[in-house]
Amino acid sequence: MNTQFKKGIVEMCILSIIKQRDMYGYEVIEKLATDIDVNENTVYPILRRLTSQGLFDTYMEQTNIGAPRKYYKVTDLGKEKLNEYEQEWKSFLKGVFKLLGGTANES
Amino acid sequence: MKAKYLEKLRDQLQDFQASKADIDEILNDYGQLYDDALAKGKSDEDIYQMLGEPRQVAYELIDTIKIKQHKNKRNKIIALMPFISVIIFMILGFGWDLWHPGWMVFLLIPMTAIVLNSNIKNAVIALSPFVTTLVYLLLGFKYDLWHPGWLVFFFIPMISIILNTRLKEMFVALSPFVATITFILLGTYYDLWNPGWLVFLLIPMLGILHTRKLWKLIVWELSFVVAIAFYLYMGYVQGSWVLGILGFIAPVATSIMFGEYTFVWYMPKGPMRKKVYILLSTILSAIAIFVLLGLFAQGWVYAWQIFLIIPVASIILFDKFRVTAIMPFVAVILFFSLGYFLNIFEWSWLAFLLIPMAAIIENA
Repeated sequence: MNTQFKKGIVEMCILSIIKQRDMYGYEVIEKLATDIDVNENTVYPILRRLTSQGLFDTYMEQTNIGAPRKYYKVTDLGKEKLNEYEQEWKSFLKGVFKLLGGTANES
Repeated sequence: MKAKYLEKLRDQLQDFQASKADIDEILNDYGQLYDDALAKGKSDEDIYQMLGEPRQVAYELIDTIKIKQHKNKRNKIIALMPFISVIIFMILGFGWDLWHPGWMVFLLIPMTAIVLNSNIKNAVIALSPFVTTLVYLLLGFKYDLWHPGWLVFFFIPMISIILNTRLKEMFVALSPFVATITFILLGTYYDLWNPGWLVFLLIPMLGILHTRKLWKLIVWELSFVVAIAFYLYMGYVQGSWVLGILGFIAPVATSIMFGEYTFVWYMPKGPMRKKVYILLSTILSAIAIFVLLGLFAQGWVYAWQIFLIIPVASIILFDKFRVTAIMPFVAVILFFSLGYFLNIFEWSWLAFLLIPMAAIIENA
């Protein structure tokens, strides 16, 4: 699969899982890696880029293993973007399934 | 491992001229990722795999980092330097007829580029050929000290060792140079070639300091001290240096007993060992060629250039091959050889322009 295309999908997935609940970096990597085949070392750069674009806010929270952890939280702008991505993705999938002769799973 | 990983990442980000704030934040985040992975029981190899090769990571992050603000200022200075040099050169030439050695101001061009584009450590290493050449020319032209002035070139590999080696290994690595310098100076000024050569024993004496057992170390070092004392006693008091050599049976026997058949210090295993051998052979060959050219072709004035092979070999063997890293040495050889053999020092300095050119081409 085209790397850029895959990166776009991973971005959308990251936005989506962090929208469900705030997460720290390693948690995001773990969660993604269990569900999809993702190049783990691309996750942090994506988190950082999306944060610099204003799609995430970050805050520190104390842990019991040592230094405080950085948590990521989706901003309103992030939610808007995620919505856009999901619409695009769904319509794209719909087209693909139509071409392949199957039916799109519009959940 | 964590510290090493973060250190590599820091180097890469610094190469990209990332601001300190960005570097600190990224390293902090990667430190957390590393700790979290460790806490989950991952091995260092797994974590390296998960986080990615530092160079690759730095590339991935490039669009999220702020470039240092003073980079533009530095580029301006570098771009202006050729013009500034020409102006100073003209003023020195027309004003005071100092065309020679006024041409040396052009050395400011590569030197400024090196100083402003490298971190302090790399800048010092890259500048060392220039500074040593200038000191050597000064010693030669002004005081006619071509010999033993060439010894200053030993400072090039020595500076590189001081800045790149851990303290524990530094003294051993420096010892061949210190011994050679001391030996040449003792021989030249006090005619103490014998027993001056004893300073070379400093190399194995420092080399064996890594011996773990204290009693072994003491016996071994004592064997050297006894041998040296015996040699000096036989030579100076009894008048027989040849018999004095018998004293060295003690350290040789001790070495065989302790299972070290050579006096070479700790050698790494695997491919590194081959590289160390190549480097050692290069050093020995360079010294041999230098002495032969000096003795039989009266080449003291130019033969020192062979020593520039040593840092070049060590860069090629132990570092990433980069033309930029080697170019200062190539430029010095071109500058000096063309100037000395064809008597065109007023032109050969142009060779130094190869350094910024190589850097621009390679980094573009």
